[in-house]
Amino acid sequence: MAEALVVTNLSKRFGGLRAVQGLSFSVREGETVALIGPNGAGKTTSFHLITGFHRADAGSVKAFGRELVGLRPHQICAHGLARTFQVARPFGTMTVEANVMTGAFLRDRRPEVARERAREAIEFVGLAAKAMSPARDLTTIDQRRLEMARALATQPRLLLLDEVMAGLNPAEIDQAVALVGKLAARGLTIVVVEHVMRAIMAVARHIVVLDHGQKIAEGNPNEVVANPEVIRAYLGTGYVHAPAAGAAPC
Amino acid sequence: MIAKLARRGAVWLGALALVMLALPLVVTSNFALDICIRVLLFSFIGVAWNLMGGYAKQLSLGHAAYFGLGAYTSTILLIDYDVSPWIGMLAGGVVAALASLPIGALCFRLRGPYFAIATIATAQVLMLLFLKFRDFAWGAEGTTMPNLGDAPLMMQFDGKAPYYYIVLALLALGLAVTWRIERSWVGYYLVAIGEDEDAAEAVGVNAARIKRDIYMISAFLTALAGTFYVQYIYFIDPNTAFSFNVSVEAALVSIVGGIGTLWGPVLGTVLLETTSALLQSWLGSARGGVQLTIYSLILMAVILWRPTGLIGLFTDAWRRIVPAAAKRERASADG
Repeated sequence: MAEALVVTNLSKRFGGLRAVQGLSFSVREGETVALIGPNGAGKTTSFHLITGFHRADAGSVKAFGRELVGLRPHQICAHGLARTFQVARPFGTMTVEANVMTGAFLRDRRPEVARERAREAIEFVGLAAKAMSPARDLTTIDQRRLEMARALATQPRLLLLDEVMAGLNPAEIDQAVALVGKLAARGLTIVVVEHVMRAIMAVARHIVVLDHGQKIAEGNPNEVVANPEVIRAYLGTGYVHAPAAGAAPC
Repeated sequence: MIAKLARRGAVWLGALALVMLALPLVVTSNFALDICIRVLLFSFIGVAWNLMGGYAKQLSLGHAAYFGLGAYTSTILLIDYDVSPWIGMLAGGVVAALASLPIGALCFRLRGPYFAIATIATAQVLMLLFLKFRDFAWGAEGTTMPNLGDAPLMMQFDGKAPYYYIVLALLALGLAVTWRIERSWVGYYLVAIGEDEDAAEAVGVNAARIKRDIYMISAFLTALAGTFYVQYIYFIDPNTAFSFNVSVEAALVSIVGGIGTLWGPVLGTVLLETTSALLQSWLGSARGGVQLTIYSLILMAVILWRPTGLIGLFTDAWRRIVPAAAKRERASADG
């Protein structure tokens, strides 16, 4: 299968801090890949670099054959990469529908078409009952749903989800996992940054482990959780992965 | 359902338009008509400001720059080149729109209060330029307009009624532009930028371009008001044309009325201007400054208790009085 995203030797420093150093990984079309690692490992920075919110010091990001380094975030979105934010950033005063329409306008400027697309995306993430609520009134999980719907409305080929499970309770995590599974089933290529191992094991086919801005391991979930380096840096020696009910067959 | 609502809106709007058109036939006092003209003028400036300051929340306190450029462009064209202010008005709009490009390029690097401060500086710099370069535009003394008597083609009239209709037309233009933008993708993009610029970029909004474009439109409209104003008062000098008061009023009427709403600036101006005029006539002679103190207290009260503007108060009251209206709104939203 073709490569959707190829990150090569990506580096970013903030003053003396090497946030990301020489990071390389690739994502094949239709695949779901997880970036994991301890806090400060450079996961979110990598997202910012890929989506144009930070400019890389060195290295390259190619998506669907086009170099992204140097492009502005809106151009990268127009190229088919949509993202969510670690802390959900809804347009608070707008309704849920207007939020998602804002995403849909990227592909079609006509309000009635955008509204139609927005309705579909809202339906897909399960927010239809709250379509007319102001976005600021939503609960945490609904804000995450909204972010996904807004990103979906831009009709991306690659979706980057930054910790969509953070702050959710176990039941909500199951819902979110199911939703990511549904997105993958639509054929979307997905990159997730996540801390909730149970969720990662369930959704990801391939895991990239970061620590101190560098890749320390990658592979399929079972290889990664057994890797002593990953256990030392991130999971902790007590970690034993219990194959959770509903985990995707890897 | 939507069609029905739209019809009701059109009926209200038609009635309002009729009242506004008939007003000069009823109000014959020059004093009252002057207040009406000022209310309409500042409503229009507020509407122009609101496009960028309200919808996209780019709080400019330098719209006097465009007001002044519009005023000076048409006056220079009129006095030095005998060009009608009608043409001068459009020329002023174009000059202001072009001037907004470099000013925007500088100021939009900043966000929030820093942006506001930078825009104040741009208006002040322009005022200083017109003060110091005496050969170019009469310096600090300013100049009076040549009195041509009743000359409609030169935007000069005997009575006040024609001025009233001109500024009413300007306001109608401003509202129409706002209405059109509010309903289109641009309106959604503006509000998104105002809410969270990064999140807007992430869903494909070219924030820099949208801000530049809306700033141009806002500057263009504000300049039309500048031309109108100096034609109306027959006088121009840098302190009038680039008055900081214009910048503040533009923002204030929108904030008091309700930023990012079609009618907010109009409502804000009606309340502020009439309050200020009434206080002036009741208390102005009593003791110096009393009317200003009360005016400021009213302002503080509004900002404290109604930070989203008075228009919210009205819609809430409307919903409470007519619960059916709220139900209809929900129904139309779902249907």
